[in-house]
Amino acid sequence: MAINHIDGEKLTQMLLEGAANLSSNSQKIDALNVFPVPDGDTGTNMNLTMSSGIKEVQEKNSSHAGSVGAHFAKGLLMGARGNSGVILSQLFRGFSKAVEKEEQLSVESLASALQNGVDTAYRAVMKPVEGTILTVAKDAAAKAQELQKEKDCIVFMEKVLEEAKASLDRTPDLLPVLKEVGVVDSGGQGLVTIYEGFLAVLKGEKITHNAGQAPSLEELVKFEHHQSAQSHMSTEDIEFGYCTEVMVKFDEEILRKNPYNEDEFRNKLDEYGDSLLVVSDEDLLKIHIHVEYPGTVINEAQQYGSLVNIKVENMREQHTSILSEEQNREPASESPSDYAVITVGLGSGVSELFKGLGVKKIIEGGQTMNPSTQDFIKAIEEVNAEKIILLPNNSNIVMAANQAADVAEVEVEVVPSKTLPQGMAAMLAFNEEHSLQENAEAMKEALQHVKTGEVTYAVRDTSINGVDIKKGDFMGISEKEIVSSGSSVSKAAKELIDALIDEESEILTIIYGEDRTEDEAHKLSDYIESKFEDIEVEIHAGHQPLYSYIISVE
Amino acid sequence: MSKVMIVTDSTADIPGELAEKLEIQVVPLKVHFGEEAYEDGVDLSPEEFYKKLNSESVMPSTSQPTPNQFEEVYQKLHKEHAPDIISIHLSSKLSGTFQSAYIAQQTLGESVSLEVIDSKRASYAIGVIVVEAAQMAQQGNPKEEIMARINKMLEDTNVFFMVDTLEYLQKNGRIGKASALVGSLLKIKPILSLNAEGEVYPFEKVRGNKKAVQRILAEFTKLYNAKPLHVGISHSEAEKEAREFMDTMREQFDIRQEVITNIGPVIGAHVGPGTLSIAVTPVER
Repeated sequence: MAINHIDGEKLTQMLLEGAANLSSNSQKIDALNVFPVPDGDTGTNMNLTMSSGIKEVQEKNSSHAGSVGAHFAKGLLMGARGNSGVILSQLFRGFSKAVEKEEQLSVESLASALQNGVDTAYRAVMKPVEGTILTVAKDAAAKAQELQKEKDCIVFMEKVLEEAKASLDRTPDLLPVLKEVGVVDSGGQGLVTIYEGFLAVLKGEKITHNAGQAPSLEELVKFEHHQSAQSHMSTEDIEFGYCTEVMVKFDEEILRKNPYNEDEFRNKLDEYGDSLLVVSDEDLLKIHIHVEYPGTVINEAQQYGSLVNIKVENMREQHTSILSEEQNREPASESPSDYAVITVGLGSGVSELFKGLGVKKIIEGGQTMNPSTQDFIKAIEEVNAEKIILLPNNSNIVMAANQAADVAEVEVEVVPSKTLPQGMAAMLAFNEEHSLQENAEAMKEALQHVKTGEVTYAVRDTSINGVDIKKGDFMGISEKEIVSSGSSVSKAAKELIDALIDEESEILTIIYGEDRTEDEAHKLSDYIESKFEDIEVEIHAGHQPLYSYIISVE
Repeated sequence: MSKVMIVTDSTADIPGELAEKLEIQVVPLKVHFGEEAYEDGVDLSPEEFYKKLNSESVMPSTSQPTPNQFEEVYQKLHKEHAPDIISIHLSSKLSGTFQSAYIAQQTLGESVSLEVIDSKRASYAIGVIVVEAAQMAQQGNPKEEIMARINKMLEDTNVFFMVDTLEYLQKNGRIGKASALVGSLLKIKPILSLNAEGEVYPFEKVRGNKKAVQRILAEFTKLYNAKPLHVGISHSEAEKEAREFMDTMREQFDIRQEVITNIGPVIGAHVGPGTLSIAVTPVER
């Protein structure tokens, strides 16, 4: 049956159903929220805005369509929350303004009302961004104009909704961040759910609102990935390397012995990694988590039933390929990503520390393994960046780095760090936004802000500055000078530390080598904290050979 | 002649008494813990907020005032004083507050003499500008002169802040260009600031509080040297550090006006406890 006119009562029902449909989808919409700020509250905000409009409509209870619209718009304005809520309130403000005098709405008045809503919203927003709720509203309203000759409100609304959905599907083409994450715009999705509610009432249908509208695991995963992608600028920053998804079919037998409690299970898994999502119903348990050891999670899940599906992806690999794809695109001359810092070091822990500071490549080498000019040139080619900074971290390697800088085809600056701590201090001064020269200058300056101590052992009997040192003895070296020696590594280290610390000292970082244990490092730390109250100690496992301890004092 | 009225929002973190004394109208944002909603600084004090932040399991979220809230404030001022209104707000890169105020302005149209300004700043970095403007207004300066001074202050005001952890900025999607700092194993004290667009960016990375303080002082010396200054330090549960910082500032600079204030719930939800923010603007008197 065709509907040619919508009265106040019908309009009220439409708004109610639109609000109800939005409400049951709000979590799902939250999960789509990546723009403008990925804080996951679009659905919640739109829902609260809408509720405020509905409350006003219900309190005023009118049979005059124009009045219903006006009450609704007023309620929306009062309760507008978040960007999408504010835009929604503006859309309906324009809408209701256009029909405020009409007792009943026709296709014609609906069409002009939708258009007026769009015009009002575009005026209200300072910098309208396409690919958002605005675009969806605009396209739907444009479609409405084409349908002016249609008499039946049902057909009209069907076509408008169809266009709104099509427009929503196009939002990723207009707003790059959506495409990147693989979602449609959250606010646009919200508007579509409202229109769906409108149509359902016109058609006399009822949309079932149940828990089935909760976001799917897939949607939640996309949101989580986007949030974590925000913080992982370089591959090396990925702490948990495997994106792991497990689906388990609950087994009643097993559950009787080993009852499943979602909260407990979630808390347990939370300790293994991040970006955790656990979704379960009576039959199935679905898990998404980023972990370093996927096996552990699979084992945990299997305790409740049989495995249905497992997906494990290496995110470091993925990230590297994304980055290299980005690098292969046309080089943006001034984009900050064309920077690379290359350094030299030994030990997996040392590498991790440097990578965490933003170093792109670490050439293996050091005191007894000096990399050649060729090694540097190879690394420069590998990182494929336009601006390069070399941190040799050893006085014997500075020359090779300088030569590489001379022959390289891209811009290279050498910051002549002579020790690992100097290299780290230089990295703190590095800023991708600054020019190569500014960086080189700031990083050179930073070399002076750190003091280096090293504890290593003598490879033969020797005498330096009148101090006899036997083969195998430990030596504490402050900058270039031997300040302690003897057969006890902890004594050599303590004396070295005493010599390094002065009034300016604030933080002492111990990087212990492959020949030492964490326990030993902690004992050194206890010594420092009991003797020097104001010093903060930080301990890292460097896994480096040759040097029992590398110590930086800042 | 009636005086110019100054409006701001609760994120300027202006102490209540000062706002009252200078007749600054403060429009509150909202803080939400799950289903519970609070008005920033109205029914949730900073102390209560940080207590809740520690005890609640949900992360708080925040929301801008509605256009309607602004409309009502502007209309009330217009009716009671019929004055010129200047409304100065939180960086539009961090919040939709400015957008809401702008919509209210569009709605009211020409009927009300109103300037709405995106301060591109947060916390007392807005506060110094608002307070300076309100003082000019109280002295009876005309709107044009106050606007000229505000525009000058928008260029000259600088803010540096240090957070205890980047977690809050990250979780709320406000980390801006400081996101690269998140993965570091070394404990780094980033000195953050707001750029010309009003986004968070890492000004510099240092290790250790003392170094951070020295670095900020050095930068202020470079920026302002011997100029007389208005300094505002806002903090979240770091009053001792705030006072010490002000003491050090006093030794080195010609401070004409100073304020130490709490970072309110809304900004607090985004930076977390243990944050110290130092805002400076040169004074012209």
